[in-house]
Amino acid sequence: MIAVDKLCYRSKLRYVNAGEKFTYSMLTLLFCIVSRSFVLSGAVLMVNTTLTVGKGGIPLRRYISLMAVPSAFLILSTLAIIVNISKIPLDGYALPVGTFFITGSKASVLFGLRLIVTALAAVSCLYFLSLNTTMTDIMSVLGGLRCPKIVLELMLLIYRYIFVLMETASAMLVSQKARLGNKDLKTSLRSFGRMGSGLLIRAFQRSGTLYDAMESRCYDGRIRVLEEQHPAKPSEIALIISYELVLLAYTVWRGVA
Amino acid sequence: MMAESEQVSEDIIIEAREVRYSYEEGGQPSLDGVSLKIERGKKVAFMGANGSGKSTFFLCCNGIYRPDSGTVLVAGQPIDYSRKGLMAVRRSVGLVFQDPDNQLFSASVYQEISFGPMNLGIPEDEVRREIERVMDYLEITPFRERPAHALSGGQKKQVTIADVLVMHPDVIILDEPASALDAKHTKLMNQIVDKLAKEGITILMATHDIDYALEWADEIVLMHEGKVLLQADPVTVCESREALAMTNQEEPAVLKLFRRLVERGVLEEGLRPPVSFGQLERYIAEGR
Repeated sequence: MIAVDKLCYRSKLRYVNAGEKFTYSMLTLLFCIVSRSFVLSGAVLMVNTTLTVGKGGIPLRRYISLMAVPSAFLILSTLAIIVNISKIPLDGYALPVGTFFITGSKASVLFGLRLIVTALAAVSCLYFLSLNTTMTDIMSVLGGLRCPKIVLELMLLIYRYIFVLMETASAMLVSQKARLGNKDLKTSLRSFGRMGSGLLIRAFQRSGTLYDAMESRCYDGRIRVLEEQHPAKPSEIALIISYELVLLAYTVWRGVA
Repeated sequence: MMAESEQVSEDIIIEAREVRYSYEEGGQPSLDGVSLKIERGKKVAFMGANGSGKSTFFLCCNGIYRPDSGTVLVAGQPIDYSRKGLMAVRRSVGLVFQDPDNQLFSASVYQEISFGPMNLGIPEDEVRREIERVMDYLEITPFRERPAHALSGGQKKQVTIADVLVMHPDVIILDEPASALDAKHTKLMNQIVDKLAKEGITILMATHDIDYALEWADEIVLMHEGKVLLQADPVTVCESREALAMTNQEEPAVLKLFRRLVERGVLEEGLRPPVSFGQLERYIAEGR
């Protein structure tokens, strides 16, 4: 999470209008899921990788390692579909093991592979958004979409204070380590519990002072703030629309055929 | 006669009359009858041991805490604790908290600075113009796009001052602005404070740095156990060694040296005590 957060502030696509990026990734995601097509998902995966790595300047190695996180999960879960153990060999492939076969049907192999590619393409859409858009910008898009204000205000505060909480926790951890607070399992469990209660108390204190600080600036129960503006470019909008129309056309054509 | 008294009251921007405040009902009072007057446009240093009531007093100055008894007056008017009255007081008296992490609630610098003026109901275009002006003035522009958690301590501090300055306050209260800053950023902070003071903004600053207070302040308020022990010009306060000792303060280095030099006959007696080493150096160079 922290890695993604750091990367998105460095992305070259960061200042592209957040609404554009949001619409692009959500529509593309929708077409990936609806069409479930090899060709479309493969194309989407390639386009997103090019955009994020090529245009956004996210290092390829970081991108691959981020994509590997869901892939591991995906492969494990599709294994169950592709691999069967049976006495009768199926039409896809069959490896004899003693009197049994490790085997799978053509249909299930195809289904499994398609699932992997579709899911990876879908994940790449979400990564495109989160690696090139700051959390603040995503929240302002959600605001534009009439997301409830209370949810947005909570997101704003949580996003800010999650980092403060982590800083405090890591400082506490260091000070515990410095006093042999984790010399064995029993002590480290106890230390961990103490850290938890310590953090809770600090969080309460901080929320009190934060409230005072906000009151000092005339807070009245509603967080009203402005964001930096990055207007949408007509050329980019045109590009997104035509890309999505191609995806739509392909999805419809496949559905009919 | 009438006109004269009005004239006087207009010059006082903040006044406290016998202010008492305790965090718990019937508990140890944090403020135990604070009375003081702050003139408009002055630079006032608040000094005193930890827990002497400086921060509590500051929170009374813009109506966050309501005194148990006594009155706080801003620009000659007792604080009106209605919604509307508090809005006016809080616009006029800006508070910069000691720990920026307690003040910055948004990860975005721009959002953060826009909060105050948006609460005041200022039109959006105007708020945007003001944000640009303040960012430029406090040299925040180079890091405006960075998230709050990626800012250094000094940069966070600059943003907290911008938060308050954007509301055009008459008074800015800084609670130990230099705490946890390195020498370079302390200097930068001092430059910013001087810049604000030159614009005619009254500045109240809590500090433990007596050498700085002696040189910078027009007046020092020495607090002790919830009371004002002494309020006077810096030299007078710094020379009352008994009061300093009571409040865990050391005598400023420059005054200590000056006293020794006079005792040894290097400098003649009756000179005005220097407020900075520069001034002391001049005395010596002039061979007085």
